[in-house]
Amino acid sequence: MTAIAPAPTASAGSGSDVQIPSSPVLELRDLRKSFGETKIIRGVNLAVKRGERHALIGPNGAGKSTLFNLISGHYVPTSGEVVLNGKQIGGLQPHVINRLGLSRSFQITNLFPRLSVAENLRISVMGQHGYRFSMFRPVAGLTAVTAEVDQFLEKIRLTRRRDDNVGDLAYSEQRALEIGMSLATNPEILLLDEPTAGMSLEETAYMVELIRTVTEGKTLLVVEHDMSVVFGLCDQISVLVYGEVIATGEPAAVRNNPKVQEAYLGEEVAT
Amino acid sequence: MEYLVVSTLNGVVHGLLLFMVSAGLTLIFGMMGVLNFSHAWFYMLGAYIGFTCTRTIGFWPGIILAPLLVGALGVFVERYMLRRVHKYGHAHELLLTFGLAFIIEEVIKLFYGDFPVSYQMPSYMRFAAFTIFDTNYPFYRLFIGGVAGLIFVGLYLLLTRTRIGIIVRAATFRPTTVEALGHNLPVIFMGVFAAGAALAGLAGAVAGAFFPTSPNMATDFGTLVFVVTVVGGLGSVEGALIASLMIGLFISFSVGLNWALADLFGIVGLGPWAQAFGGILTLKLSTIANSMPFLLMLFILLVRPAGLMGDRQ
Amino acid sequence: MTRLRYLLILIALGVFAILPVFLSGNLLNAIIKMMISALFALAFTLAMGQAGMLSFGHAAYYGLGAFAAVHAMRFVEAGAFSFPTPLIPLAGAAVGFLFGLLFGWFATQRSGVYFSMVTLALAELLYTLAPTWNSLFGGESGISTIRGASWGISFGDDAHVYYLTLFWVTLATWCLWAFTRTPLGRLALALRDNEHRVRFLGFNTHMARTLIFALSCLFTGVAGALLAIATEAANYTAFSSKASADVVLQTFIGGAGTFFGPALGAASMTFFARVTSDLTRSWLLYQGLLFVLVMLFVPDGIGGLIAEHSKKVKKGGYKALVLPYLLCLVTGLLLLAGVVFLVESTHILLSDGYIAKTKSSGGAAVPFSFFGQDFNPRSWVTWSIPIGLLLAGAALMPAAMKVTGRAWLHATQSAPAQGETA
Repeated sequence: MTAIAPAPTASAGSGSDVQIPSSPVLELRDLRKSFGETKIIRGVNLAVKRGERHALIGPNGAGKSTLFNLISGHYVPTSGEVVLNGKQIGGLQPHVINRLGLSRSFQITNLFPRLSVAENLRISVMGQHGYRFSMFRPVAGLTAVTAEVDQFLEKIRLTRRRDDNVGDLAYSEQRALEIGMSLATNPEILLLDEPTAGMSLEETAYMVELIRTVTEGKTLLVVEHDMSVVFGLCDQISVLVYGEVIATGEPAAVRNNPKVQEAYLGEEVAT
Repeated sequence: MEYLVVSTLNGVVHGLLLFMVSAGLTLIFGMMGVLNFSHAWFYMLGAYIGFTCTRTIGFWPGIILAPLLVGALGVFVERYMLRRVHKYGHAHELLLTFGLAFIIEEVIKLFYGDFPVSYQMPSYMRFAAFTIFDTNYPFYRLFIGGVAGLIFVGLYLLLTRTRIGIIVRAATFRPTTVEALGHNLPVIFMGVFAAGAALAGLAGAVAGAFFPTSPNMATDFGTLVFVVTVVGGLGSVEGALIASLMIGLFISFSVGLNWALADLFGIVGLGPWAQAFGGILTLKLSTIANSMPFLLMLFILLVRPAGLMGDRQ
Repeated sequence: MTRLRYLLILIALGVFAILPVFLSGNLLNAIIKMMISALFALAFTLAMGQAGMLSFGHAAYYGLGAFAAVHAMRFVEAGAFSFPTPLIPLAGAAVGFLFGLLFGWFATQRSGVYFSMVTLALAELLYTLAPTWNSLFGGESGISTIRGASWGISFGDDAHVYYLTLFWVTLATWCLWAFTRTPLGRLALALRDNEHRVRFLGFNTHMARTLIFALSCLFTGVAGALLAIATEAANYTAFSSKASADVVLQTFIGGAGTFFGPALGAASMTFFARVTSDLTRSWLLYQGLLFVLVMLFVPDGIGGLIAEHSKKVKKGGYKALVLPYLLCLVTGLLLLAGVVFLVESTHILLSDGYIAKTKSSGGAAVPFSFFGQDFNPRSWVTWSIPIGLLLAGAALMPAAMKVTGRAWLHATQSAPAQGETA
């Protein structure tokens, strides 16, 4: 049904530097999810290789968001496996999955509205530095954290809004921060849920360019409706229809795949 | 056997009474996301209105006036207070009703004093409905149970069989959709809030004539109502019913039992040691009957954090 | 600005340090209670204002802290072990923290209103359990003890207790303030804003919330222990929902969004309760009314109001605000006078003494005296006073609000121009 790489043997403990570049970071094996009687995800197999920029497309209601929620730990799979770097993570708590190297952004802006931009990023960064429940030293003294926050601010081009409240940011700036925060947990794979949803044409173009630069060298899995974003950003595409992946491959191949064309027939395909 | 029957009856009556108050609370919460902290204080207000009426115009007018007046208060609270602070979020709404509860209690103390008042049922209702073994079972307890039962049946029919009921139930799940379908959501909210308040007022007027009517009744009853909603799962009327009955029975059974943890140790031969240890081990179940609902709640939180009928967060 | 703040804090501490020289025992006691309730409110705000956990049962930890202190003092009294009196609050802290962890673990399973109800029920559990458990809580009468002398201080004098309280409240306040600057303190703010997102950033939020709640309980326990030291007793009513309600009301009147607002609210409410206790029995009613008014019209509390002013009013802007605020004050006073008249006269008319008087006079109208004036309860003149006051206040209100709103705009306009370059 789909062209997937054979499952690698578990290689837990091996550092990322010895990983073969093409080994999958994330793999879904016959993943299923039902809500009551309704089967939403019906046996998804998918592999995202290291360094790949993988897009997940599909018509409305195909189960893309559910799939993201299964991978990131928001939902518990009914059956099947989610494998991150050879480790089964399906059903684990979101914070555990995050620490294992998978981070996600949200479709609806999901920030800390009453904190400043820098503080939002700092929450992300300080967890990475092991300051999770630390209460005996002031944050002002954590110079490494502050330096990294500033670095990320530079990357997502929000340095001049450093001390502004997130609630006062423009929408596209909030979206940029959203991605910056997910990125700041230093994940091995980043899941982006419709990063350009609700944006104007110019904003979308800006965002695609921004995502491309900030995620340089990272593995990406992106849900997106806008085909121009998909083709501008990704080198692999999987098509999800009714809870199943019907095709995976390079953009050109997927575009000409008869199954995909059939699935999208009558649907509005943004070009 | 006698103990079993009487305790069951008492438990069911108490449970139904709890349900009468918690149903309104849980419906309001389900629809508006507002936890009306003052709900049990509406119940107390009903009892005091009933008391005032018995003194002046009689018992039955009180039974009718209490829900009407408390319902009207509900309209005022929803329309002129809650709606005003809605923009600040649910915690703010909760706090506002919390303050309201405080004011109701203090106003009642101002007018009726700090001590219980003698709110009595009419003398012709003061008789034993039946005698079971050696116990005369008071008719009025059955009356309370009957009223609560009627309310339950009425509520059930209203919610499942009528157009209004369907709209209300739909609004519990998807308020915005209901609004988009052209229903006047603010009016529905106000109606449900008023109806819930009226139910609490009625329950107070009916039950206050049997149970003590005092400025503390709201705190005591209110915490039980909150336990019911946590155990049953907020927003679920079925959950409220099950939890109410469960807690009613739980209390009525533990009141009569003299078990203590020490007895448990007795089984394995550690009885004397436990007796000597004293403290929590020799506390009798009957003396801590009032604490039982809270222990039950902790247990439920351990095994089913969302409550019996609640959705997973 | 920060310099000024430090200077102000130093001056305040200096004033507090020399107060016992001027004040008598009774007033000193009042200040001790104010400091304790201020600390209680600050500890409560750690859970509420910073982490968004609205606890309706914080009296549980307050009471536990008090009982821990009393038991520690009794052990010392009985000679079981020696422990210096000034360190007794540590017992309250330890017990508060432990129970905070235990109860917090349950309560933080849920968030939002569920959390509030679970905390309420947990406190009620203690409240119902305590009077039946004689050995630990002393039944309905509670436990009393005596402060032991240690470090060469007798602790028999009010001033000794005052300095002990001052020291601990200052230390705890500093700790609470410093906490807001730590990673966990910042995380608390993030949890308040959006717990869901925090989980996806790699934090175990249940653990974080439990820990923050327990820290709040730790300082609440210190406050409770200080109360027990001051009163040399603890009683199961410390667990009552009234005690829990008080801290909620006081904190939000003060403003939970600012650091010192809750302390301000708690201290002033405690002060007013004390001052008015001889004049009225309805203080709690007034406090409740004040709370609801604050919730309706000043959602950020008094502290929030002050912060807003210091942040937004531009230089010289206060000039424009003086007259409108005077108008508001007059309006408020008119309404207040009307309400007070109604409440207090109701109180008098329904009192046993007054009812006995009417009976003995054979049903004739008995004048009641109030503020040194005699009023006839059956005369319309009497009741036209409060109604007139209320009507006048209500008539002035729209005008006062309009004028103030306009003056506020005037006083703050063009103030936040900096940084707005978009």
